Amino acid sequence: MSTHPEPALQTTGLRKAFGDHVAVDDVDLTVPAGSFYGLVGPNGAGKTTTLAMAVGLLRPDAGSARIFGVDVWHDTVQAKALVGVLPDGNAMPERLTGREVLTYLGLLRGLPAGVVAERTDELLQVFELDAAERTLVIEYSTGMRKKIGLAVALLHAPRLLVLDEPFEAVDPVSAATIRAILSKFVDSGGSVIISSHVMALVEQLCDHVGVMSDGRVVAAGPLADVRGTATLEDAFVGLVGAQSRGTEGLAWLTA
Amino acid sequence: MAHSMTPGQADLAHILIRMRLALLRNSLRGDRATNLYFGVLLGLALAAGTIVVAVLWPAYLPLALAVWLIGWIFGPIFTGGGDETLRPEYFAMLPATPRRIAAGLLAGAFAGPAPLVTLIALLSLPVYGWRHGPAGVLIGLAAALATLTTMVVISRVVVAVIGLFVRSRVTAATAGIVTGTALALSGNGWAPAVALGTTDTLAWTQTLVRVLPSGWGVAAIEASWPLALLILAANGAAIALLLLAWAGLLARRVVSAARGGVPARRGTPRPFPAAGGARIAAAKELRTWWRDLVRIQLLGTAFSYALVFPLLLVTIDSWIMVPFTGLIAIVMAAGVSANLYGVDGTALWLTLMTPGAERADVRGRQLAWLLVVGPAATVLTLAGTAVSGQTWAWPWVLGLLPALLGGAAGLIVCIAVTSLVPGTDPHKRGGNPLNTGADEGAESGLAWLMLVAVPTIALPTAAAILLQPWAGIPVGLLTGALSFWGLGRIAHRRLESHGTELLSLMKHGPAPQPTGKGTAADLPLKHRVAVTLCYCVAWLPTFPQGIVPMIFKIVGIQDPVWFLALHLPPLWQWPTIIFMITLGLLMYGYAILIPMRISSAP
Repeated sequence: MSTHPEPALQTTGLRKAFGDHVAVDDVDLTVPAGSFYGLVGPNGAGKTTTLAMAVGLLRPDAGSARIFGVDVWHDTVQAKALVGVLPDGNAMPERLTGREVLTYLGLLRGLPAGVVAERTDELLQVFELDAAERTLVIEYSTGMRKKIGLAVALLHAPRLLVLDEPFEAVDPVSAATIRAILSKFVDSGGSVIISSHVMALVEQLCDHVGVMSDGRVVAAGPLADVRGTATLEDAFVGLVGAQSRGTEGLAWLTA
Repeated sequence: MAHSMTPGQADLAHILIRMRLALLRNSLRGDRATNLYFGVLLGLALAAGTIVVAVLWPAYLPLALAVWLIGWIFGPIFTGGGDETLRPEYFAMLPATPRRIAAGLLAGAFAGPAPLVTLIALLSLPVYGWRHGPAGVLIGLAAALATLTTMVVISRVVVAVIGLFVRSRVTAATAGIVTGTALALSGNGWAPAVALGTTDTLAWTQTLVRVLPSGWGVAAIEASWPLALLILAANGAAIALLLLAWAGLLARRVVSAARGGVPARRGTPRPFPAAGGARIAAAKELRTWWRDLVRIQLLGTAFSYALVFPLLLVTIDSWIMVPFTGLIAIVMAAGVSANLYGVDGTALWLTLMTPGAERADVRGRQLAWLLVVGPAATVLTLAGTAVSGQTWAWPWVLGLLPALLGGAAGLIVCIAVTSLVPGTDPHKRGGNPLNTGADEGAESGLAWLMLVAVPTIALPTAAAILLQPWAGIPVGLLTGALSFWGLGRIAHRRLESHGTELLSLMKHGPAPQPTGKGTAADLPLKHRVAVTLCYCVAWLPTFPQGIVPMIFKIVGIQDPVWFLALHLPPLWQWPTIIFMITLGLLMYGYAILIPMRISSAP
């Protein structure tokens, strides 16, 4: 466990409304340094919006976010140097190849050219993107896009990773690779927060969990505390109050 | 039991029309709605004008209708691929033949303001037919419907052809050159016509505008009964053929894998330079220019227009425009680069998440634009002036060249971040590479703004040249350098302070306001009317009543034409010219600054 006194990520009272719809309402999250944090919740719970506000990609209506004690909205530059981000569904420099994206962003961050080349090579190999050297990002498949996004998040060796749905659309082999990379990162003192709706995955990877529903955090803390004696999935269903409606309706489909 | 039948043709058309209207309704929010209303008002005024032509100057009706046809053909190319509210991809899995889907989509295409406005303009046909009796009215009505359908289908086929065949840099550049040439012809095409034969020019153009699909209606009205019916039948057959072609093109489009307007065949990419900051951002941007077929096509349009427009005048032995070829290219290239950040979509997040990257990105885009446009424009300017033999033009072009280049490189980034028009992210666009998903009216408004703003920046240089010809060079260099630096600085400052808001704008569109609070982001109506009016009218005092008579006076042309200043006593001529230019600039300033001030107010 890390001995860092400041939490890796702390949000206080984050709020965001789109028109009349309040997407995120008064969200307090604490990701302890050195933890692997899973943010779970049903579709539309506000996970993506929360993470975007936490890293400085979406201005909150109220509240604040700190990365290792650095205020994201005041000391923007300092905070951004500490974090690697994988947002959900954003565009990339679409007309560059994967290698070019990493080279460009590494040099733009001021890393020495030698270091950039070395890390780019390694990242492309690990994520198995080195076979598509002449493919532009705009031509990538959904899974490839996710992987180049992860590579971008890792490139500058940040101390905190904020990953929105990192396993979505990724094939099982790549998913295992990503799991291994993230676990190793946490073991060496890094901190990770991922959002997901795959409970089994979160249960297996994470040591801390936050459960969101309707824009609010309904439970948060160490995994063991949140799930109690049941599985995370049962705890989640209990917390979110979702009922399986699969058995009713659609009679015409089975007729 | 599974249903394998789709609804009948009429039902399918009905459903698609309703779907289109629902989509249109949902997209009409805030500024977009107001833009639409003003667009429709402008269209109605033009339609009324067409009917007036049919009543007062019937000889020019075929020409007026040809202008509508040109609008339908070239409009989509400039305004981002035309209306794609109903994307063919949505219906790819519908169990129906491509022909039926195409017919349904065509019906859906009619459910919008543009075809309605065009139909009103085409009512000029029955009005014209009245001169030929009740039968003329009847034929006119039938011809109006047939012509409208023809125009809409032609427009769709053009977009489909470009979308499907522009797959390499060569085809993209070719499409651009064709568009640019056609644009230049529509401006200066009279010159070669005059040169070809001064006597039967009129007869020649009269035939031409009747041969175009827009002129078939007039031809039918003027013809005898059987011939009229034959022309209408031929029009119907042409529509059927076009529809067939469109169906084929659509069917190929929805199953074609190539997306995003990327050249199919590419060499191994050259490694990035081992630089940082603005240079590395410029390297990224240059690769984007080279690998985006839409950008290549738009550049082709800009440069071919700049080349052909002055050359057409050479056919009547007027070389006066040739030295300015490169300068026209700069202004046009700035016009097609107006929405530089909007076209990249949410890729902005990477710039925002990289500490200090905003400045590098803005400067890099400026440098890349200069590298793409600058050398060619400089060569065109030097060669054009030398070849034309217009020695008086040297101080003008040498002073204006740096002013326009630097001014444009500053304005493209400044306007791109202050007036960004959000579109669809490049990787989420459909099979039509031209379509950015942006608000077409707003996007072309931005291009127009650029076409006006870039020359405005060079006005001090022009003034300096008037006072002392060779003073233009230092003033031009200074103007260019200051604009490049200063406007770029405004842009990256703005990106640093408002980058998150720009990203939200691209990700979520214009922010919906909580109901009951009113839409503060929209201009109040009186300002909107005034701003629209200024945009529409300001060119009048600035260019034809200001700058053109100024040039006439300097060059020493005696003919006063319709320039107010030149009709006045000499004592009043210069004050009038200066007043006109000032008035025009004030109107432009108001139209540009008021929306910025109101939108940046909390």
